[in-house]
Amino acid sequence: MIKITDLEKIYRTEDIETVALNKLSFEVKEGEFVAIMGPSGCGKSTLLNILGLLDDPDGGSFVFNNEEIAHYSESKRAQIRKRNIGFVFQSFNLIDELTVFENVELPLIYLNMKASERKEKVEEVLKKMQVMHRRNHYPQQLSGGQQQRVAVARAVVNNPKLILADEPTGNLDSSNGNEVMQLLTDLNEQGTTIIMVTHSEHDARYSHRIIRLLDGQMVLENSLI
Amino acid sequence: MLKNYFKIAVRNLIRHKVFSTINILGLAIGMASAMLILLWIQNEVSYDQFHEKKDRIYNAWNRASFSGELQCWGTTPKVLARTMEKDFPEVEQATRVNWPSSDLFSVGDKRLTVSGNIVDSNFLQIFTFPLIKGDPKSVLHDMHSIVLTETLAEKLFGNEDPMGKIIRLDNEDNFTVTGILKDLPNNTRFKFEYLLPWSYLRSAGGDDTNWGNNSTSTYVLLKPNASLSSINDKMKVLKPRYDKEESKWEMFLYPISRWRLYSSFENGIEDNNGRIQFVRLFGIIAAFILLIACINFMNLSTARSEKRAKEVGIRKVVGAQKSSLIGQFIGESILMAFLAAVIAVVIVVLILPAFNQLIGEKVTVAYGDLNVWLAVFGFIIITGLLAGSYPAFFLSSFQPVAVLKGTFRKGNALVTPRKVLVVLQFTFAIVLIICTMIVKQQIDFAKDRQTGYNKNNLVYHFLTGDIGKNFELIRTELKSSGIATSITKTSSPLTESWSDGWGQEWEGKDPNDKTDFFRYSQEGGLGVTAGLQFVNGRDFDLKQFPTDSTAMIINETALKVMKFKDPIGKIVKDNGVDWHIVGVIKDFILTSPYEPTRPMLITGAKSEWFNLMLIKLNNQHSTGDNLKKAEAIFKKYNPEYPFEYKFVDEEYAKKFEAENRIGVLAGVFAGLTIFISCLGLFGLATYMAENRIKEIGVRKVLGASVSGITALLSKDFLKLVVISFVLAAPVAWWAMDNWLQDYSYRVQIQWWVFVLAGMLSILIAVITVSYQAIKAATANPVKSLRSE
Repeated sequence: MIKITDLEKIYRTEDIETVALNKLSFEVKEGEFVAIMGPSGCGKSTLLNILGLLDDPDGGSFVFNNEEIAHYSESKRAQIRKRNIGFVFQSFNLIDELTVFENVELPLIYLNMKASERKEKVEEVLKKMQVMHRRNHYPQQLSGGQQQRVAVARAVVNNPKLILADEPTGNLDSSNGNEVMQLLTDLNEQGTTIIMVTHSEHDARYSHRIIRLLDGQMVLENSLI
Repeated sequence: MLKNYFKIAVRNLIRHKVFSTINILGLAIGMASAMLILLWIQNEVSYDQFHEKKDRIYNAWNRASFSGELQCWGTTPKVLARTMEKDFPEVEQATRVNWPSSDLFSVGDKRLTVSGNIVDSNFLQIFTFPLIKGDPKSVLHDMHSIVLTETLAEKLFGNEDPMGKIIRLDNEDNFTVTGILKDLPNNTRFKFEYLLPWSYLRSAGGDDTNWGNNSTSTYVLLKPNASLSSINDKMKVLKPRYDKEESKWEMFLYPISRWRLYSSFENGIEDNNGRIQFVRLFGIIAAFILLIACINFMNLSTARSEKRAKEVGIRKVVGAQKSSLIGQFIGESILMAFLAAVIAVVIVVLILPAFNQLIGEKVTVAYGDLNVWLAVFGFIIITGLLAGSYPAFFLSSFQPVAVLKGTFRKGNALVTPRKVLVVLQFTFAIVLIICTMIVKQQIDFAKDRQTGYNKNNLVYHFLTGDIGKNFELIRTELKSSGIATSITKTSSPLTESWSDGWGQEWEGKDPNDKTDFFRYSQEGGLGVTAGLQFVNGRDFDLKQFPTDSTAMIINETALKVMKFKDPIGKIVKDNGVDWHIVGVIKDFILTSPYEPTRPMLITGAKSEWFNLMLIKLNNQHSTGDNLKKAEAIFKKYNPEYPFEYKFVDEEYAKKFEAENRIGVLAGVFAGLTIFISCLGLFGLATYMAENRIKEIGVRKVLGASVSGITALLSKDFLKLVVISFVLAAPVAWWAMDNWLQDYSYRVQIQWWVFVLAGMLSILIAVITVSYQAIKAATANPVKSLRSE
């Protein structure tokens, strides 16, 4: 599903040049659950942003669904992103001014789906995530665990092929964290490919494979199955 | 998707009440100001544009040389209209309109003083003043016919049908009502309440065929497709053909489309100095005020970008493209513009009467006109686009990675669009402040000028009805009862010139001299009544010197023109009379207080031209008492006419109305601009305090004082105001220097005005910014540092 080869990302300021990804190469197959680990500043989030088509690589190849997309324009990337990729963030990133229902509905709006169809899909996913009773609440009225469930609901509402999770349990206590990890595992079992950046060895054990990064390079790859 | 955008826009408005209020209020005030100015402009450009034949209607003008300068004016000989109809096949019709006059209308016991015009019978066939009753082709055919406006007819006859009813004018002649006009709209140069036929004037001996008597307005309707340039070529030589003495006197036709806004000439050429300059000036002011309000919106929206950045990031992550985000933010600004427009319309409706009073016009809003609402809709869209475009592009360009990871920060660049916008706002505001101050100075300068006579307790009354006949009785009774100390019959008010002319002759006159003299008549005692100062000779005194009926008093400027070493006894020939000079007075202001006094000739009783009595009230009694008693005397000797007096000082004050209006309007708009700009500055200061919270915390931990931090935070804004001042000063100087060129008697532009305006702006900016700066400086640093 994803194949990156010699991927490079360099951040430049006036004085300093920081290599975030240094000729990184690996492959993720459809249906896999991959955890990416490493110390702060090793390039995990940069990698996730590139995989999520939120950022451009400076070099190398990025093939997504057999399509070379490394140098696609922003609008083309947005097209691929909204149909194929769901995101889960550490800090939930829900829009404060929208209710739970409206937050989850948002990706479907950008897919120009009909209102009746959207309602059906959103309610279905809210039930699945067990936050249906909170559908008219605003994010600030929810606990952290509930907010992350809503974030996951939003990520999966358009049935993406790939979910990218950036430290999804980072802001949660262990009980809520485990619940979220179980949700991701369930989604993976239903066929969704998941790539998760995490600091937590515990969370990483939910995955099939761990890729460890250091200074923008892969230093180790462990298979857990 | 639109529903989603709408929801989030409304929720953002409600959640961020302070910003929303500042934004909408600023925009509403800006829109209301611009709407008022646009209404006024619309009113100005619509003057006399409702006539169905407007494209073919012209006014005949003269162009002739006096004192080496070509002058243009719009009063023509009475004979011109018929001559043009006869000589020019291009002319379909020509009509004359005499000077407006006030007449006493009597119907039964009702007495009304009404203003109207005498016109040719074809007047209503050329101009579109619809008749409710009567036929435009025949209403003015009969010599004793009269056409009334709807309102006047109602005043005179109530609910009765006025057609065929008789009205007595000035207790002399009876007229039959033959037509009722719809009331005249405000946007016309004509202000009559009634029309009388020219045939009546002719029968009263008021018509003539004298080509030298330029005393009436001539309007011409050309045939369709007639060539204006060809007819104007013929007009150039028309007067010399009939008046052999005036070989270089030209005439021309001036189109209706230019009457209101462009009819100002310099040396024979339209000088672009008419009302159009005010239309342009206030058009620019309207655009700038709206722009300033939009700048506020842009600044506050972009300043709040961090608050919206997360939303932009999330929307991009879930699939929003830049174009849809631009659409969302522009939609939000149009929503804001809509809300602001609702408030603006309410403001306009509420303050329109006061605005009309301020500008001396009757601007109205045609609420039933779809075009008005389409214009408001267009106004909303334009304002929304103007205000929302920059924020939309700015916000939609955020990188989702940066904003969602929390690494997004907008730096304090040396020159940011936001700073440029603040400078633009304050530059405009400072220009207006300086202009307001200089206009005020100019008015005060002219007001402080010595008039040359004593305006206090001086009133005048026109010689209506029997006043002329009973003048001596009224004068004696007014004096003997202690109401007045001195009374003089004169030709015109002390504040107006009703006659001027050239062609006088005197000993030693240069034959090429074409100096134009003001003419004024009095029958004696003007010096005492008006408090004129004689530098040589004396006032007229018919009792002591019967020959004073042909005496003349000249002013100092006239003396300079005539170059008499000893003027007393010298003869000046004018209008066929040999006038002998008996006195020279100090110059006094007869017309404009902004212009140098012109040469003036005051002639005695022989002129037989008296229209009013000038009365010096006794200051031993209250003015109210004096007038009450005077009214009884006037009623006794002139019972048919109302007692309608005018104070000379009030009439003199009217000379400053135009400048006062400019001054007040400039002041009001300067105040509004400052207010809107300060709203924006306050918003920016709030943003700045939030944005630099960590820096403030660190500085405080390291020992910075509250005053030091306040100064640090205020400094950046003050720099912008100083830059604005540097830009505004030359612009204001240039604008005011140009404006003052129109006045011969003008104030010098003083440097301290600029310093004062600069300091005022800085003070206002300091007050606006310091609240947020002090609040930020006194906040607990622990909180801000922990938040990092």
